[in-house]
Amino acid sequence: MMFEHVLFLSVYLFSIGIYGLITSRKMVRALMCLELILNSVNINLVTFSDIFDNRQLKGDIFSIFVIAVAAAEAAIGLAIVSSIHRNRKSTRINQSNLLNN
Amino acid sequence: MFNLFLAVSPEIFIINATFILLIHGVVFSTSKKDDYPPLVSNVGWLGLLSVITLLLLAAGAPLLTIAHLFRNNLFRRDNSTYFCQILPLLSTAGTISMCFDSFEQERFDASESIVLIPLPTRSMLLMIPAHDSIAMYLAIEPQSLCFYVIAASKRKSEFSTEAGSKYLILGAFPSGILLFGCDMIYGSTGATHFDQLAKILTGYEITGARSSGIFMGILSIAVGSLFKITAVPLYMWAPDIYEGSPTPVTAFLSIAPKISISANMSRVSIVGSYGGTLQQIFFFCSIASMILGALAAMAQTKVKRPLAHSSIGHVGYIRTGFSCGTIEGIQSLLIGIFIYASMTIDAFAIVPALRQTRVKYIADLGALAKTNPISAMTFSITMFSYAGIPPLAGFCSKFYLFFAALGCGAYFLAPVGVVTSVIGRWAAGRLPFYYIRLAKRMFFDRPRTWILYEPMDRDKSLLLAMTSSFITSSFPYPSPLFDLTHQMALSSYL
Repeated sequence: MMFEHVLFLSVYLFSIGIYGLITSRKMVRALMCLELILNSVNINLVTFSDIFDNRQLKGDIFSIFVIAVAAAEAAIGLAIVSSIHRNRKSTRINQSNLLNN
Repeated sequence: MFNLFLAVSPEIFIINATFILLIHGVVFSTSKKDDYPPLVSNVGWLGLLSVITLLLLAAGAPLLTIAHLFRNNLFRRDNSTYFCQILPLLSTAGTISMCFDSFEQERFDASESIVLIPLPTRSMLLMIPAHDSIAMYLAIEPQSLCFYVIAASKRKSEFSTEAGSKYLILGAFPSGILLFGCDMIYGSTGATHFDQLAKILTGYEITGARSSGIFMGILSIAVGSLFKITAVPLYMWAPDIYEGSPTPVTAFLSIAPKISISANMSRVSIVGSYGGTLQQIFFFCSIASMILGALAAMAQTKVKRPLAHSSIGHVGYIRTGFSCGTIEGIQSLLIGIFIYASMTIDAFAIVPALRQTRVKYIADLGALAKTNPISAMTFSITMFSYAGIPPLAGFCSKFYLFFAALGCGAYFLAPVGVVTSVIGRWAAGRLPFYYIRLAKRMFFDRPRTWILYEPMDRDKSLLLAMTSSFITSSFPYPSPLFDLTHQMALSSYL
C-alpha cells in the first residue's frame, strides 16, 4: 500500500479536526476535534518514521510523547468543561459572551 | 556522567520543588488534626522561595563549559539562553509576589493553584535552550496546559471559567498547528534537530528548490507560534482571556509565554530559513499588531482590557525587531522584551493594588493623584513608558526597534510604527486618546464619589519600586542592558 494514501488520510483528518474545532457549538465536540487533530499528526509521524527512519525512530518517539500530551490536554479540557457546567448548567460555546466588550 | 545532572539541576530542582509543594499543600490542608488550615500563603511563599532559589541556581550555573555534551541532543546552552532564562524567572518571582494580596482579599483557598506557577516555569526553562522540534513541542505544550488551568482557577466565577475555556480552545488549536508543522518538516527533511535542519534548509530560499512539505511546515510552525504570542490576525479571544482571568494570572499570562515563545521562535527562525516565508508573515503580523494596539484600545472603559490590548500592541512592536534577520534585530527584540517585562509587571502590580471593592472601570481611577499620589505617579510612568515618551525606557526600546528595522531595509514598517505609537499617545481634537487619557483621569478628573483605597502591601510596593526605577533609569544609563543583549544576540547566531 502506498504511503501517500496514509498521508492523505492524516491530512484529511487534520482538516476535519480544524474545521470541527472552529465551527463547533458545544465544548465537548471541540475537545473531540482537538483529539482528532493530535492523533492525525501521530499517524503522520509514525508513517514518516516507518519510511525512512529505521535507525533512530524519531517519529515514533515523538508520537508517543504526543499521545501522552494529548491525554493530559483532554483531561484538562474536560475539567474546565465540567467547571463551566457546574456554574451554568450548559456548555455551549455561543453562550460565552460575558466577556465581550 | 555526573556533569549531566549538574547541567539540568535547575530543572530537576524546580520539578522536585513543585511536587513537594503540591504534596505539602494537599497533605497539610486536609489534615483534621490541624483543623484544615488554608495553606495558600504558606505554599505561596514557599513557591516564591523555590523560584528565587531556581533563579540563583540558573544564574550561578558553571555549566556553559560542558555545553558541548548537549550539542547533539535536545538542548543547547550558551550565553543567550543563560541570560534569556533569567528573565522569565525574574518575571515569575515578581508575579508570585503579586499574588499574595489578591489571595487574601478574595479569600482564595486553593493552595494548588500556586503550584501551577513553578510548573510552567520549568517548561520555560526547557523551551529556551530547546534545539530540537521534539524538545520545543514538549516544552511549549505543558506550559500552555498549565496556563489553561490557572486561567480557570476561580471556580465559582463564571468569568474565570469562561476565560479558561476560551484559552483552552485558543491555545490547543495552535498547538495542533505547531505540531503539524514539526511533523511536516520531519517528513520532508528527515531531521528534527535544529542543527541538521540548518544544514538542510540553508539553500532553501536561494536555489529555489522549494518543497511544498517544507513550506507547509515552516508556515505552520510560524502560524502556531504567532497564535501563542497573540499576534494580531490571530488573537481571537486574547483580550477576553486577559480580562476574565484573575489579575495575577493575567500578569503571568501576558509576560511569561511572550518571553519564552519569542526566544524559542527566534531560535527556530535563525536556524530555519529566514527568507521570504517567515519574514513576510512576521512583518505583516507586526504591522497589524501595532495598528490594533493603537486603535482598538480607544473605546475601552474597563481597566484590564486596554492593558491587554496595549500588551498585544507592544508585542507587535517587539516583533518588528525580530522580523528582520539581523543581529541588531535580535538585540532589539531582547531589549524590547526586557523593558516590556518590567513595564507589564509594573502595570499589573498597580491594578490589583487599587481595590477597595474592585477596580474594573477606568472611571474608578478618578482623582487618584489626590488620594494616592505615588501610585498615580508610578502608574503614569508605566503608561508613558508604554506610549514611548522620551525620558523613559519604552522610548528607548521603540527607538532601537525602529532603528533595527530601518537597518535591515523595512522602510514601510518603521513609519507605520512611529505613526501608531503617536496615535496611541496623542489627542486629535475630540478623539479619545489612550495612554494619556488614563493619566488625565487620574490627575485631572473629579469623580462623583471619592474612592479611598487601602495602602498597598509591602511586596507589591517593593516590586513596583524595582521595576519603575529600572524603567526610569534605563534611558540615561542603558549600557548594561545593551551590552547584555548584544552578547546574547551574538551568541545566538553562532
